[in-house]
Amino acid sequence: MREVAIIGVGAHATGQFTEKALKDLAYTAIWNTLDDAGAEPSDINVAYVGNSLGGLLTGQEGVRGQVVLQHSGITGIPVINVENACASAATALRGAWLEVASGAADVALAVGVEKMFVGDSARTISALSAVSEVDLSEMGMQFTTSYAIHPKINLKGKMAEYGWTSADFAKPAVKNSFNGSLNPLAQHRRPLSIEQVVQSRIVVDPLTLFMCASISDGAAAAIVCPVEMAPRFTSKLPVRIASCVLRSGMYRLPDDGFTDSATVSAQAAYEEAGIGPDDLNAIELHDAMAPAELMLYERLGLCAPGEGPRLIDEGITTLSGRIPVNPSGGLCSRGHPVGATGLLQIAELVWQMRGEAGARQIEKRPKVTMAQNQGGLLLGQDSAVYGVTILKT
Amino acid sequence: MNILHPSSIFVPTDAKQTPCLLGARCDECATVVFPKMPVCPACQTNGSMREVQIGRTGKLFSHTIARFAPKGFVAPFFQVFVDLPEGPRIFALVGAECPVEAGVLEDGMDMRLVLEPLADTPENSDLLTYKYVPAGRPEQRTSGHA
Ligand SMILES: [Zn+2]
Repeated sequence: MREVAIIGVGAHATGQFTEKALKDLAYTAIWNTLDDAGAEPSDINVAYVGNSLGGLLTGQEGVRGQVVLQHSGITGIPVINVENACASAATALRGAWLEVASGAADVALAVGVEKMFVGDSARTISALSAVSEVDLSEMGMQFTTSYAIHPKINLKGKMAEYGWTSADFAKPAVKNSFNGSLNPLAQHRRPLSIEQVVQSRIVVDPLTLFMCASISDGAAAAIVCPVEMAPRFTSKLPVRIASCVLRSGMYRLPDDGFTDSATVSAQAAYEEAGIGPDDLNAIELHDAMAPAELMLYERLGLCAPGEGPRLIDEGITTLSGRIPVNPSGGLCSRGHPVGATGLLQIAELVWQMRGEAGARQIEKRPKVTMAQNQGGLLLGQDSAVYGVTILKT
Repeated sequence: MNILHPSSIFVPTDAKQTPCLLGARCDECATVVFPKMPVCPACQTNGSMREVQIGRTGKLFSHTIARFAPKGFVAPFFQVFVDLPEGPRIFALVGAECPVEAGVLEDGMDMRLVLEPLADTPENSDLLTYKYVPAGRPEQRTSGHA
């Protein structure tokens, strides 16, 4: 396998962009990325386009990738449409990485794009439910429910098991809202207090409104090529992909003692990259519900079970800490346009590693970083998809 | 009345029968799953799964009250996971006889299966499904399968 570098990233801001279609959002992300990489449409050999809800929400069920790419002037090349729920963009990046690593292509484009504001939030929420197995969504199961009480996540149960409080649940939201307040691309730029998060409306007990990622439009992209080819395009610091892991959840039986899939996928990424959690300098992780960040700390190996709130209390995962987590603001603040999120995470890490993150720049430029993206829900599992990417300079 | 997931529910046809769920048990490793699957998820044997009646009772594993409802449902409503004595831990809704209030349900409590319309909405009021209620409550006639 060839060593692969990210030579360009770009994004469209997240938020509500009523007048913009899927292809308009993608156009901004794609051309920001081409310009960032110093590349032309004719340089791109192959493209992977991640999107989750476009079929249900925009009516564009087929060839979404070809539609958005043609709008950006990219035609004729192989285009692979990727749907993998909230991990569609991480999956698209893996496809692009594999094309280049295998030698099948020299320059590959990964795009993630989502249009969730369609003038009817009930329709958007129903579409979101449909990225889980329909047997569950037909019974009224929602993502918020699964984070609250699903046996393999069970944040409500963690309150009893670990003694976590509602204030603990609010801590990641508060930390990430501060980071997001410094990010001009972020959807929610108001710094929140513990009280504001705890006292916002209950969505699904014990999760409140400000603990949950909201509906968002957005797009992001990345261009990859072999490391040695990078200088042909750009003088910017090439960011190497040390590992790019994709896993599906596993059928789980009660108390089967199996390691959860978030842990399994992270361990696979560490192993492939030849590093451990202590080597990471920054992380973008999938905090679709803020308190899930506390659980992911332990599943990514950052702390022992139950110790998540301490990492925030001691400032370890804040912007000025030893391992800043979600410097972009994460899903709750930066925004979670589902099929774009994985590449929004990658773009943020590349900016941080190059020292281009502006007001939210991590002071000591990170050299080793991780993006963790997950999505979907099947009967008998926690999440359906896990994508973990480790980057190095 | 139509049935949501008819292959997963046994609907009584006479008064001597009681409703239950239809799961599958593996001949090779005895794992019980719900809903049914053709391949055992524990030992991956193909063709070893046989239909079994399960879930007449259960114990509440976890529960929450959803304050926002997706289309076709009415908030607030309980959403729960129930441990069935046969093995599976399943997602379920809670029967209408149980008031939707904090403190009404307690994890670990004994539950009993009822058949009811999915929700009291135009989309779902004519769709029969399984729900659970606290077992201590008096038997109620399950509606919709006359
Ligand atoms: Zn078996």
